[in-house]
Amino acid sequence: MLMKIALRNIFRNRRRSAITLLVIVMGAIGLILFGGYKARTFWGLRESTIRTRLGHLQVYKLGYSNAQSQKPLEYALDNPSEIRREIERDPRVRMTAQQITVMGLVSNGEKSETFMATAVEPEKDRQMGSQRMVAGTDLPNDDPDTIIVGRGLATAMHAKPGDYLTLMTTTASGSLNAADVRVTGIFTIGVKEFDDRAIKMPIRGAQQLLQTNKVEKLLVFLKNTDDTATVHSALQKMFTDRGWKLEMKEWSQLASFYKQVVLLYNGIFGFLGLIVFAIVVFSVANTIIMSIFERTREIGTLMAIGTTRGRIWRMFLIEGFFIGLLGGIFGLGGGAILAWIINHGNVMLPPPPGYTVGYRLEILMQSGTLITAFTISIFTATLSSILPALKASRLKIVDALGHI
Amino acid sequence: MARETIVGLTEISKSYRLGAVRVEALAGVSFDIARGDFVAVAGPSGSGKTTLLNIIGCIDKPDQGRIVIDDVDVTRVPLHRLTAMRRDAIGFIFQTFNLIPVLTAFENVEYPLLLKGLGRREREERVRHWLAQVGLQSQWKQRPDQLSGGQRQRVAIARAMVTEPKLVVADEPTANLDSETGSRILDLLADINANTGCTFVFSTHDASLIARAERVVRIRDGRINAIENPHPALRTTLSHRERAGVRG
Amino acid sequence: MKRRLLVLVLFIAIPVHAEDAAAILARVDAFRNPLQSFAIDVDLTSYTRDGKSESSKFRVYGKGSDRSVVEFVAPAADKGKFLLMMRDAMWIYMPSASRPIRISPLQRLMGQASNGDVARTAFTVDYNATALTEEPLDGKRTWVLDLVAKDPTVAYNRVRLWVDASTSQPLRADFYVVSGKLIKRAYFREFGNMSGRRVITAIEIEDLLRTGNRTVMRYANLTARDNPEKMFTKDSLGKW
Repeated sequence: MLMKIALRNIFRNRRRSAITLLVIVMGAIGLILFGGYKARTFWGLRESTIRTRLGHLQVYKLGYSNAQSQKPLEYALDNPSEIRREIERDPRVRMTAQQITVMGLVSNGEKSETFMATAVEPEKDRQMGSQRMVAGTDLPNDDPDTIIVGRGLATAMHAKPGDYLTLMTTTASGSLNAADVRVTGIFTIGVKEFDDRAIKMPIRGAQQLLQTNKVEKLLVFLKNTDDTATVHSALQKMFTDRGWKLEMKEWSQLASFYKQVVLLYNGIFGFLGLIVFAIVVFSVANTIIMSIFERTREIGTLMAIGTTRGRIWRMFLIEGFFIGLLGGIFGLGGGAILAWIINHGNVMLPPPPGYTVGYRLEILMQSGTLITAFTISIFTATLSSILPALKASRLKIVDALGHI
Repeated sequence: MARETIVGLTEISKSYRLGAVRVEALAGVSFDIARGDFVAVAGPSGSGKTTLLNIIGCIDKPDQGRIVIDDVDVTRVPLHRLTAMRRDAIGFIFQTFNLIPVLTAFENVEYPLLLKGLGRREREERVRHWLAQVGLQSQWKQRPDQLSGGQRQRVAIARAMVTEPKLVVADEPTANLDSETGSRILDLLADINANTGCTFVFSTHDASLIARAERVVRIRDGRINAIENPHPALRTTLSHRERAGVRG
Repeated sequence: MKRRLLVLVLFIAIPVHAEDAAAILARVDAFRNPLQSFAIDVDLTSYTRDGKSESSKFRVYGKGSDRSVVEFVAPAADKGKFLLMMRDAMWIYMPSASRPIRISPLQRLMGQASNGDVARTAFTVDYNATALTEEPLDGKRTWVLDLVAKDPTVAYNRVRLWVDASTSQPLRADFYVVSGKLIKRAYFREFGNMSGRRVITAIEIEDLLRTGNRTVMRYANLTARDNPEKMFTKDSLGKW
């Protein structure tokens, strides 16, 4: 009966209920759309970070992470081909890529600058698509004495495709080495500080420069990011079984920028969420208070004919609950529909810093977001009714009856 | 022969604050109501009859004095503890009908039975019975805004009676009705009183209604002026206390 | 007859005798590092291709061929700084920092420290001679030695050294890295007498990666000094 009274009372003053419902619905839609946008952004950033830079897993020699080494490749993989062959047996693995990081000086004969190079396998690097060529061509597959240079560094070295530069570094054993290399192209990765120092070179070239045939790390790319943890343990077991002294890191341990973005967005949306929460609370509380005010005589009557205070309290609480429930349902429906419209609507956002093209606005619908939006609607509305309902139950019968 | 007392009031006083002024609504009221009585509390507006009825109905507390309802001394019992008594033993009829607007006639009458926790079949039986008694069996589905004033009051009467109370308190039950409708309502109340033996106490300033009562308690400025038994056939002797309480 | 034989002998490349080459190297080293434990003043001027120059002064305390502590004397901004140069490690101490900072081999490459390394190269210790020929250089008879590093930790993998045949003074050294590229060229310009020995007093080093850049180092006031071992630890750097 209480539910009947509560529900029918919501429809009694349709305009007021509609407005409050609208507030809740908008709050729920806001949560769903913002949450979906945030989720899509995280997903995009995560996949792009993994695909173009980190890989899902990285394999190193045991001790690499904790090493404080002054010599390059002090902890290096000495049997990379064998390791790669075994790893690629797992059907969840898409591909592997060898890498070495090299630091040194690059000189054009007149001046020198420090550089940071990633030595890669050119075919794999092309699949990763981490840089955009602005001049010349990418690294050839079979010429170790080539490099591509970051835009800022190319400018500093007055280098254009076809020019020769000298790379100087210390070898794995600590002696000096230098090599003349041909610039085949100039690239940008979208971050100026990186472009000012970056070089990419074939791994054979780095190995010649460092006088080694070892490799610093092996990047492992999976078909599905969700497999990361399970593949990690599977590979760890395989390494232990073969007695290989290797260690691994997952992308989540290496993606510090991604983690910072997640924290930042969560902070921002959390703050916005709080504001929305406050607005909904006030709106629902206001509606319930007005409803109580208008029904004061009714409350007095109910108490006079034997309704307990607790029952009165519950009655209004249920009313708040139903407002939240209705708002949640409509919010869910509205949010889903709006998300669908946006996703098919080709809304373009401006390019983020460092990029030249914009990207499409997309909302990622996840059950978690939907459930959260729904639950928060109900929870907030019910919460807002608690105090007003309590005040209603404490009304003095005689005063209530005498109320206009 | 004195019949059993259902309501016993002794030196009841009540005052309340109206802005900065303290108003004495009742000052030392004493009288008894016997079971089965059909009593009118008569007086001009402001005489304190509403306050008196509220105290009898256990929705207000006296400042001083003693009140016994159905052999229970409820003087010191806080109002929210008297909810059960109001639910089971007392019925209310209001001047402004006070039906729940979102419920149908049936549901309005049914409501108190839900408070008592009765089963569905018994509730339906009782509601249909009382709707019939007040002549509204075919209007059971209507909401209050679809009923006339008289019909609404009938629903209110059915609601008051459905719990089979021992005492029904009605504050100016006909004041919002035209004289003909009001008269018929009073007939209905008298019928029920005669058929069920339920005690009725109602307040009014309408002379024609006062005439229908078995006993009349005349009240003015918070004090009892007179207690009358206009129908000698049903004469009851005044108790000592009643005699003492009558002024002049 | 005898004269013709002599001339023949002089103009034919003589296959190297290890002892001969080693002896030459030892004498060369003696010009550079005559004392086991010493102190010496170094005046360094570097010239860039557009004609600018910078000057610094140091006092170097050395022990053996592979340990030295460099005290910055001038310019005033650098006063109070110290370098500890060891074979495979280098540390810098600055008064503003609480502890010395290790310099990586790459950073060592970048500054004047690399020239210091070149000047300090201990030929006998780090290199084996693989060829000894005779060539004229600037009108003088010189021996040309091809040196190969004894182990892969030595900075410059190969050195070609020109030595004055009559005085055994080093004239010029070309420094090559593993890939065979020529990185630096040192000219041993001046010799003088210090502390009773004949020693190198001026070296000019050309940077062949940054053409036009050269550094001139002048040495003076060589004194024998008993430098204790514990002076050559990084923790001692701050305690001067």
